[in-house]
Amino acid sequence: MAVDGRNSKKRKQHEHEEQLDTFKVAEMEMLSDEEDGNNIESDDGEVDEFPELDPASDEADSEEEDADVGEDEGEVEEGSDTDSLEEEIHIFPKSKTIISDITGHEKRVYPEIEPDYDSDSSTEDTSNRVGNIPMHWYDDLPHVGYDMDGKTVLKPAQGDELDRFLKTVEDPTSWTSAFDKKAQADKPLTAEELDLIRRLYTNEVPDATYDPYEPMVEWFTGKGKQEVMPLSAAPEPKRRFVPSKWEHIKIMKIVRAIRQGRIVPNKPATAQPQFYAIWNESPSSHAPPLPAPKPPLPTNSESYNPPEEYLPTEEDKKQWEEADPEDRERDYLPQKHSALRLVPGYDRFIKERFNRQLDLYMAPRVQRVKLNIDPDSLIPKLPSPNSLKPFPIYKSLKFSHSNMVRCIGVSPDGAWVVSGDESGFVRLWEVNVGKEVKRWKLVGKIGSLEWCPRLDVSYFVVGTEDMVHFMVPPNLSPQVLQLTQSILAPSTLPPSPETPSPVKWTTPSSASWTEDIAIVTVHVPASSGLTTQLAWHCRGDYLASVSAGGSQGTVWIHQVSRRHSQAPFKKVRGKVQAVLFHPVKPHFFVATQQYVRMYNLSEQKLLKTLQPGIKWISSMDVHPSGNHLIVGGYDRKLCWFDLELSDKPYKVLRYHTRAIRSLHFHPTYPLFASSSDDGAIQIFHSRIYNDLMTDPLIVPLKILRGHEVHNGLGVLQIKWCNRHPWLVSGGADGAVNVWCS
Amino acid sequence: MGRLRQKGKAGAAKAYVTRSAAIKKLQCSLADFRRLCILKGIFPREPKSRKRANKGSSAPTSFYYAKDIAYLAHEPVLKKLREHKAFAKKLSRALGRGEWSSAKNLEENKPVYTLDHIIKDRYPTFIDALRDIDDALCMIFLFASLPSNPRIPPSLIENCSRLAAEWQLFVMRSGALRKAFLSIKGVYYQAEIMDQTVTWLVPYQFTQNIPIDVDVRVMLTFLELYQTLLGFVFFKLYTDAELVYPPPLDIKKDELAAGVGAYLLQETSQKQPKPAAPKAKVVEVEGRQVSGKDVYKTIKTLASSPSDSNDMDVDSNAEMGSKDSGEEFVVQPSKSDALTTSLPTLQSLEALPQSVNAALFAPYTLWLSRETSRPIFEFLVRSFGGRIGWPSSSGGGSPFDESDNSVTHVIIDRPVTEQIQETEEQRTRRLKRKYIQPQWIVDCINAGKILLEAPYAPGETLPPHLSPFGEYEGAYDPAVTTSGDNLVAGDEEEESEEEDVEVEDAEEEMADGNVLKAVLSAAPEDEAVLRAAELAAEAAGIDPTAFEKEVAKSQRRSKKKESASSSAAAEVAETDMNKMMMSNKQKKLYEKVKHSQNKRNLERSKLEDRKKIIQKQKRKAERNP
Repeated sequence: MAVDGRNSKKRKQHEHEEQLDTFKVAEMEMLSDEEDGNNIESDDGEVDEFPELDPASDEADSEEEDADVGEDEGEVEEGSDTDSLEEEIHIFPKSKTIISDITGHEKRVYPEIEPDYDSDSSTEDTSNRVGNIPMHWYDDLPHVGYDMDGKTVLKPAQGDELDRFLKTVEDPTSWTSAFDKKAQADKPLTAEELDLIRRLYTNEVPDATYDPYEPMVEWFTGKGKQEVMPLSAAPEPKRRFVPSKWEHIKIMKIVRAIRQGRIVPNKPATAQPQFYAIWNESPSSHAPPLPAPKPPLPTNSESYNPPEEYLPTEEDKKQWEEADPEDRERDYLPQKHSALRLVPGYDRFIKERFNRQLDLYMAPRVQRVKLNIDPDSLIPKLPSPNSLKPFPIYKSLKFSHSNMVRCIGVSPDGAWVVSGDESGFVRLWEVNVGKEVKRWKLVGKIGSLEWCPRLDVSYFVVGTEDMVHFMVPPNLSPQVLQLTQSILAPSTLPPSPETPSPVKWTTPSSASWTEDIAIVTVHVPASSGLTTQLAWHCRGDYLASVSAGGSQGTVWIHQVSRRHSQAPFKKVRGKVQAVLFHPVKPHFFVATQQYVRMYNLSEQKLLKTLQPGIKWISSMDVHPSGNHLIVGGYDRKLCWFDLELSDKPYKVLRYHTRAIRSLHFHPTYPLFASSSDDGAIQIFHSRIYNDLMTDPLIVPLKILRGHEVHNGLGVLQIKWCNRHPWLVSGGADGAVNVWCS
Repeated sequence: MGRLRQKGKAGAAKAYVTRSAAIKKLQCSLADFRRLCILKGIFPREPKSRKRANKGSSAPTSFYYAKDIAYLAHEPVLKKLREHKAFAKKLSRALGRGEWSSAKNLEENKPVYTLDHIIKDRYPTFIDALRDIDDALCMIFLFASLPSNPRIPPSLIENCSRLAAEWQLFVMRSGALRKAFLSIKGVYYQAEIMDQTVTWLVPYQFTQNIPIDVDVRVMLTFLELYQTLLGFVFFKLYTDAELVYPPPLDIKKDELAAGVGAYLLQETSQKQPKPAAPKAKVVEVEGRQVSGKDVYKTIKTLASSPSDSNDMDVDSNAEMGSKDSGEEFVVQPSKSDALTTSLPTLQSLEALPQSVNAALFAPYTLWLSRETSRPIFEFLVRSFGGRIGWPSSSGGGSPFDESDNSVTHVIIDRPVTEQIQETEEQRTRRLKRKYIQPQWIVDCINAGKILLEAPYAPGETLPPHLSPFGEYEGAYDPAVTTSGDNLVAGDEEEESEEEDVEVEDAEEEMADGNVLKAVLSAAPEDEAVLRAAELAAEAAGIDPTAFEKEVAKSQRRSKKKESASSSAAAEVAETDMNKMMMSNKQKKLYEKVKHSQNKRNLERSKLEDRKKIIQKQKRKAERNP
């Protein structure tokens, strides 16, 4: 338009204009910044104005020389507004500007759209108007869609395979037809389409009208379009035409080096010797890296001709083949070949080499000390049991109860045994012959039995539900009986304590007392449950009882001479399993489920807490010297504590296969025994040296088996006879056995 | 209170790095890392607690020592690998742009790494290197036998076979071979060099196919290292033995497939003085380099014009030496020459232990028939001083032909066939020679003496071939045929007799003593039985006094047995009880050791049982064929 007009001038005018422009630019630069924007607009306005004059003259020119016009036009469009031009080229067909005959104004005319294949497809004539949908939707229907009027377009007759074949034979155009999905029929391809296919097939441009070899239109270059004026008015810098000084210096350096022979250009690579005496220098002080372990050397079974016994049987072969390669003991199956020429190639050779290499660089290596020891040397050398006699070896007699025997008591002279069973019978019998002398029937289960350790008196205590009975055996000598009675039931009762105790001591009147009933009965508070353990102090005056009832076991210490009971602990952490008096010192052991606490009763303070590491303590016993304690647990462990040393056990033994039930030190012999639910009794020799430096010696001597396991319970209690190396054991099978040396 | 310790700043978290962390730190690819690890001999470690080493994660990873990785970070090879990566990029760009000249220029200045410093690092002393060449030799021998393919260039295979031949030459010359074993996997050889036993395995000559699950790149990286290592080791071995390394190759012979024989052992001349250590290296290297290179040249020139041999002094000397030594050692170790040849060997190889029977086959001349493997037996026989020849179908370079009269043994490995026609000459020759199967050679070597040829004659069933390397102590030894075997035999007699009793019930030809024994062994204590036995003995017509004696003896025996068994039982019970006193740790260890012992005993007893059964079957087969 206006711009066009301005540019469609002759060269001279053009140049003149440009000069004008530059002049204007120069002027413009002198203007202030504020006015800059306006100025450009005004500038444009001027330019717009300018060409208004031109068209007429231009027209006149163009009428004279048509060829020139075209050229000019090209120039014009290019020079003026490249953006719009590009759009015109690429998106729309080229428009022409003509003068309308009617209005007399300029108007743009676009070329007619030819309805060929790249034109709008809406003009195509198809009867089926379903649109671009998957045609298999119509698979089950008789029609294939709808026409313009909404009527169904029926599927054309399909014909069978034979028809189709005949068609291919008869119809000469059948090979140029393709299946039309929309019409559901073969349609012959048009000539254009065939041409298109051919072109695609031969890798030509698919569009037949496209000419890839059109002459280039020189838009920017060519004659008359050279840039004449420099972009910048700055003068040419000197560096453009003077050689670089620094480069010169560098080059001269190299030249000098070449002249002096320091650099030899194009020197052939000197062949360094590949191998030389690398180990001639003294080695570094670094320790060499550990060498990789060598693979094991081949054994007889790898021979090509091994002795026959090495050959695998069918089972071996099967087993070998079924095992994973990692699990196989050997990576080959032994084979026997009668001659060397018959040995085949080994197919896993490369694989084995590769695996070795993987081992070398991917397997973590650990340095292990190879133990080359005789396993028997690990077994400690202990004195032979034969040299440590006497100890119980055989079962000398068996005394039967009708029910489970929970507790036994042995008289201090070692001649009598009382045993109590779950049905409430307490039976007194003689150790040597097993003759029953007396039997008592008490209410409820018998939880514990303990004979008073005093030798001048003779009685035992029986723990039952909430009660502790003091019983006097029959057939005592009169002095002993008198003394016993005077102790247990004195004519003048000691004064009752100031503070009322919840424990009641009752005595039947001396007239009504017979040997069949308890001489004294201690009623511990109700609902404290079965008295599970009784422990005498060595003097025979104090008696400690543990009741199983309640959430916490109740511990009472009874004093026989004062007929007084007291609870030594207000509160015990954990459930009390067992208590013990120290044989020499005023100490008291309390075993809860996991700990054993040692208290000083006279000072009333905690001395030690022993940690046996047992989950649930079942029993404990203290050595007659008072310096060692053994603790047994339901988790089969037996811990030996040296009380003068650590809180931790000196030795932990685990040899029973079931829970340990009972432990007992022999009062005079260096023996102790443990019984367990596996029905076995284990006798140990335990020697303790006076010399503190020597560790106690524990030697297992004998395993006594003779009790039957009954309902998962074995030997429930064991007791030593005082003066003999004899052992009495009561089991869940109702038997009380005496084991003699 | 000490300073607070932050987690992950000390201990296992610091000492170990995972593989991915290591790769990140080294800024290289996994393949490069692998290659570095292989070359530098760095392997993963097992931390005591994986969790602690991996910052609380128990994901399965491999760990490396952080120090190892730090050590890798300074590795020149790593630098070269990086340079190579850049080079590859530049080259591909140049090629893509079609800038051929710059591509050529780049190719010329391609970064190449050497492994010399790694060898020195990994093996500070020669002994260290010698100790570790087992795997290297196995690989070299394997690759020497592989067919070439696009991934394995023929040049590599050629180099491997050259190294293999060099090693074999050296072992043959130094007489270092000690043991050999024909296994189903290949042939194991064991040599002893500088008090180090070197064992290597050579596959039988069959084409090996590389399985698809084998990563050839890993093998090639190992091979790269092994080639360098063996090169240096062989250089040292050869120079210590005053031989030229690399031994020159006789191309003509090589073309005739002479194998090991194509290389010539050349002694470095005695005249050359040995200067002091630091200088010596250079001179020696130079001298070696010159000779090594030019010997090839001279061989070529000699081939064309034998008179034209006025090169450097060193060369001619070396050449002369080579000729002599080559003739002496390689081609004709005849008896008359043995002394003169052995002298310089002893002189030069003082350090090497001389085997007592290094000249086991020295008095013999062997001939290999065409079906036997030449490389194996040529190596074995020549290592033990024997002469060996082979037909031209097994390759060229045989020092004599079949009709040679000095041949004492023929190694033959084919089924016996009827000799159809035989000339008189052939017959006398056949009778003069001893024919043996190849196993004889190996068994002789392992036994250290010449064995009888008869069991190894063609057509004979060969005696079993046993491993010379032995097994663990107390393992089953198939060669033992002592008291145990006798016992076995006795048992078997009894058994067989019992069988006879069963089978031939009617026959009354049994030995009387056996009746007695049988009766008495049943129940010597039981009086009623004794009585019955007495009656039976009387019926059989045995002297009553003899019977009484027998009874007394058997009773004594049974008593002894009983007492022994009871005391043994008591002892067992005692030790069982003593086991109670073991600590938990000891108990576990004891169980472990006992378990492995039991396993071994089981294996042993299984083999012994099998042997018994086999022997029994054999005997049966012999008795009633």
